[in-house]
Amino acid sequence: MKDTHLPCFRIKPDFYDALAHHLAADFEFWASLVGADGLCRLQLVASPPENTSSGLPGIPFKKLLLPPAEPLWSWDGKTFQSPDPQPRRAVFGVALCDLQALWYLDQVFAEDPLYQERRQHLLIVGGPCQPADQCRCHPDESPLAGDLFQTHDHIWSLSNRGHAVLKELAKWLGATVDRPLPKPLQVPKPRADIREPLFRASTGSAIWQQSSQSCLACGVCSAVCPTCYCYDMIDHTDLDGKSTRQRVWDNCFFSTHAKVAGGHDFRPDRAARLRFRFEHKKFGFGPLRGRPSCVGCGRCLKACPVDIDLDQIAEQLNAGEA
Amino acid sequence: MLDQLQPHSAVLQAVAPLTADDRLFLFLSAEPISATPGQFVEISIPGVGGFPVSPCDLVKGKQIYSCIRKAGRVTSALFELEVGASIGLRGPFGNGFDLSQCVNRDVLLLAGGLGIAPLRALLAALLKTEQHRQLILLFGAKTFSALLFRDELVKLAKAHKLKLLLSVDDDEGLSHVTTDHPCRVGLVTSLLDELTLQCKMTTAVVSGPPALYRGALEQLATLGLPPERIFATLERRMRCGIGECCHCVTGGVYLCQEGPVFSLEKIRTLEGALE
Repeated sequence: MKDTHLPCFRIKPDFYDALAHHLAADFEFWASLVGADGLCRLQLVASPPENTSSGLPGIPFKKLLLPPAEPLWSWDGKTFQSPDPQPRRAVFGVALCDLQALWYLDQVFAEDPLYQERRQHLLIVGGPCQPADQCRCHPDESPLAGDLFQTHDHIWSLSNRGHAVLKELAKWLGATVDRPLPKPLQVPKPRADIREPLFRASTGSAIWQQSSQSCLACGVCSAVCPTCYCYDMIDHTDLDGKSTRQRVWDNCFFSTHAKVAGGHDFRPDRAARLRFRFEHKKFGFGPLRGRPSCVGCGRCLKACPVDIDLDQIAEQLNAGEA
Repeated sequence: MLDQLQPHSAVLQAVAPLTADDRLFLFLSAEPISATPGQFVEISIPGVGGFPVSPCDLVKGKQIYSCIRKAGRVTSALFELEVGASIGLRGPFGNGFDLSQCVNRDVLLLAGGLGIAPLRALLAALLKTEQHRQLILLFGAKTFSALLFRDELVKLAKAHKLKLLLSVDDDEGLSHVTTDHPCRVGLVTSLLDELTLQCKMTTAVVSGPPALYRGALEQLATLGLPPERIFATLERRMRCGIGECCHCVTGGVYLCQEGPVFSLEKIRTLEGALE
């Protein structure tokens, strides 16, 4: 969704109480909060926070749509059964980059029944953000998903569902105003892009070996990435004999990622795996090819224990230094 | 849509040994399956896991024949199952072979080892429709006993349905075998020397391990076959089959969806396709 003509309303002082009251019967509330340890986490909260600019949660809200482990089906020895229905959740204070990431995941999982069920049970309320040192977003670049976007005095409707919620709360809304979404004004350094032919030509470049030399293959970059979605499937059997297949987060830095039965490994070293991740972040896969999947949230930069920076690799390739 | 991630029930109906590590399995699905040659299904053993496999014969209604090698954890568990055991089936996935490419053309099939399995299904489809011109199968394996389905292939050759050329890498024991059909010692691609192909009128389909693709595909192009009519079925770690989990991605393409069958023309654009 492009935000040029998003409906925006002034809100009356007790709007947020009314919103909380309206949603409370059907929804759990989730929001990003900074804990005593200084880390920001997306967590279950008692009521929707009014002030939501508490920063990006370390693990993005993909964890609610694609949980680290979720049952795909279970088997009682005779039939395959679908997992239990998902709870309804309202998530507050989602930053623009994460709304862009949500749009991206929505495309990838457009046909996925479990994702779609969770997605339909999720009401997403965006909120303004404060750019941090690692932020590399392009606020105007890609479409946003989500339902509402709130500041302390205005609310925007981003979807039909958001519109329906506001319709119910019309009493607490003021005048419609023509106002753009509050986007981060000064991003320190936007994400570096690279043209695909240049990437293709860099297959033999030493940069992949050099850059991956210090990589610990810990996979934290993918774990914290809002558009990393690869998964494995793992079976478990309970003591009562019921088997469950779970979809679990996988990671393209793990040594089993491209290994087939019999032992052949199609991405046998860290250099190949780094190049694979770089390719996904800069160009996307499958039908989304040509659009960077990286939304510039900067989480991977912050989390990498050895400071691997995909943008730096792109810049070196662009400058012909590699 | 749910079917794409959730299997339906199937029963292991029959098993026949082919070699020490390869067996022919017949699964009876609870629901009809419409897999075409070259597509694949996922066999699930609840509590153990799943693996992708191509049917090795035409899928008739609810019956799926697959030739499976004991190669990993899940296939090992399958080898332990008794006839009558319940399993799960998902699919079919992928594009399969384009049979229209074989109409009014000579068809050259080139199989290495277990790569014969999906080509046997293609062979069955070709023999059923009979719209091709000459049909040639070059089939190589490590040893004579690893030439899967050799007897039935020789029978087809004797009935003039098929020109069959066989090879083995290792001649150990070969001299002691009373054979009803010649078998060369050497790489399967060396069998190409015995053929005079009408290259412009030929469609080739290659199936085998990565090492076979690295040599054979470009060799066929060098002989003069058009790269858009040289096909290969690429093996990868297919987990989801629906273009999500990313394991099979090669050159930015989900092989499980756009493939696993690609022309050499396309393969040349897929970085790492032949690694």
